[in-house]
Amino acid sequence: MLSCLGLRKDYVTERGAVAAVAGIDLQVAAGRFAAIIGRSGSGKSSLMAMIGGLSRPSAGRVVVNGTDIWDLTENELAAFRNRRIGYVFQFASLLPTLRLIDNVALPAMLNRGGNAGDTYARASALLGQMGLGDHLDAYPSEVSAGEQRRAVIARALINDPAMILADEPTSDLDEQTEIEIMDELLAVNRERGTTLILVTHNLALAEQAEQIVHIAGGEIVE
Amino acid sequence: MTADRRGLRWLLASLALQNLGRRKARSFLLIAAVAVASGVVFTGATLMRSIDRSMAVGFTRMGADMMVVSEGALTNITAALLTVEPTDLVLDADLFAKAQLTSVSRATPQKIARVEHSGIGSHHESADLIGFDPALDFTIQPWLVEKLNRELLPGDVILGAGREAPLGSQLLIFGKPHTVYGRLGKTGVGTHERGVFMSFRTLDALATSIGGHGGGSPPAALQPGKVSGFLVELAPGAAPLQARFAILSTLKGVKVVTGDSTMSGIRQGLAALLDGVLALMVLMFASTALMVCVLFSAIVTERRGELGLLKAIGARRSQIVGMMVIEAVIATGIGGALGVVLGILVMRLYERSLVYYLENVGVPFVWLDTPQMVAVAVAAIVLASVIGALGALYPAWRASRSDPYDLVRGEG
Ligand SMILES: Nc1ncnc2c1ncn2[C@@H]1O[C@H](COP(=O)(O)OP(=O)(O)O)[C@@H](O)[C@H]1O
Ligand SMILES: [Mg+2]
Repeated sequence: MLSCLGLRKDYVTERGAVAAVAGIDLQVAAGRFAAIIGRSGSGKSSLMAMIGGLSRPSAGRVVVNGTDIWDLTENELAAFRNRRIGYVFQFASLLPTLRLIDNVALPAMLNRGGNAGDTYARASALLGQMGLGDHLDAYPSEVSAGEQRRAVIARALINDPAMILADEPTSDLDEQTEIEIMDELLAVNRERGTTLILVTHNLALAEQAEQIVHIAGGEIVE
Repeated sequence: MTADRRGLRWLLASLALQNLGRRKARSFLLIAAVAVASGVVFTGATLMRSIDRSMAVGFTRMGADMMVVSEGALTNITAALLTVEPTDLVLDADLFAKAQLTSVSRATPQKIARVEHSGIGSHHESADLIGFDPALDFTIQPWLVEKLNRELLPGDVILGAGREAPLGSQLLIFGKPHTVYGRLGKTGVGTHERGVFMSFRTLDALATSIGGHGGGSPPAALQPGKVSGFLVELAPGAAPLQARFAILSTLKGVKVVTGDSTMSGIRQGLAALLDGVLALMVLMFASTALMVCVLFSAIVTERRGELGLLKAIGARRSQIVGMMVIEAVIATGIGGALGVVLGILVMRLYERSLVYYLENVGVPFVWLDTPQMVAVAVAAIVLASVIGALGALYPAWRASRSDPYDLVRGEG
């Protein structure tokens, strides 16, 4: 269960303060598929980053299962990002010097306590599931943008998170690839019961969500 | 399947290594800069310690600060050391023991007899037999370049560099067998190089033969309780002029001879030079540390997105900082090792001219022994690595403080 209370994000720029997120209250029940829509610059990414523990709110709270994540210590927050959240960025987000398998295994390796052999077996299985079984040893630059995005999804799943946060994960991909990748994400939501919060411009896709959040000017509009 | 059995540490270290490989030219320049610094430091430290030790050896080898002989006795003053010439003018053996001069730390007596037909060397050759007290001596034994593997015993003789005879061989002096115990290094001083050195006991045993041969009495220096002169080492901090005055006013009928002062001037110059080298080394290290810091600030900036990503997937701050520090330590460690190799090559190359120069100014050069050299090398490499760690620490720590989202967006 996720709830945001009075969430704000103000950026200080040369032209004064920008209220990217201007007071958002939002609840997403566990296991739900929620879609966030809104025009470019409306504050969607800023909101997602605050929910995912990547960007400290200027005000307000992000409560996950009863804990305000922004009250956690630095190391607890790192563990939260690592175990509870699978983040899929808007842009290419694999480490270029690591093979796909290493990229996928890395979050599990950071999550100490795991056995390296098991971790790599799991990483390889996830990549296989994403249709990348033949590219385990490839470097990110050696595969297509769509394949990179699949590898990111595999990486997001490696620690079996409670919540996937996907910020326009397909905006730079062709339509066919977009459909395939969305299918993967929806399947994860359905089959694993993982909460999915998806930022998208694709209204047809948003229609499939159980909850649609429309944002404009940093606020939720109906 | 490529399920590698390797740990996180390995993964982060290989990430660091690959990051170095991404910008080959830059990594090469960093390594080269550190190599130059570490080479200078390693070479400087090795030479400094070698020269330091050489000078220490030089000083003890030098013999003495002063020589005290009977008024009117002949003396041989050379740049390198003081020696007493054979003379019939003698002093009491207990002169210094009685006087108790505070400005004198050590005074070692010597007896010298110039003999002919002793059986040493060719028939007509005269030889100096020099007696010393092995317990008090500090001017002869430091010159030993080779010796038997035992204590000096009665009946043993030590040969000056100018005399040939294998160690352990027998040498007849006035028909009496003596054992060649050791050989002294070259000093350039005739008395020393042609001398035959022995303990007072050994020399005393020869007294009758020496006297008897010529038909007369033995030389004055061989009389019991008499010596040819004393070699004196001043107490630390004692001023030579005052010591000289104290000796002259306390002891009657003596002459005080001091060594050449230009040598000590050169030595002081060398010591000042070494201080300069030390200062240069410290500066070199400081500037290398700053350079690494500046470079890693740039590297961290360039890699902000990746660091943010690592943070976003749950890397702790310590892991982010650790990764950057490992990267720096690998580069500077390699640079440090390379510098040591470079330093060794340079020293090999200039060894001859260096040794020649130092010996010219009266400092016999002694290289550091291998374990010490290895210790200096290890210290240089460790120091280089520490510089890398320190240089990368601050920029990495600063970046690791930012929110991951700011890092991936290229801000913060
Ligand atoms: N780090 C930042 N510094 C300054 N302004 C920012 C920063 N991040 C976002 N903004 C501004 O905040 C607003 C919301 O941005 P964002 O959250 O990225 O919106 P969206 O994802 O909906 O396009 C935009 O006006 C954007 O320019
Ligand atoms: Mg956005």
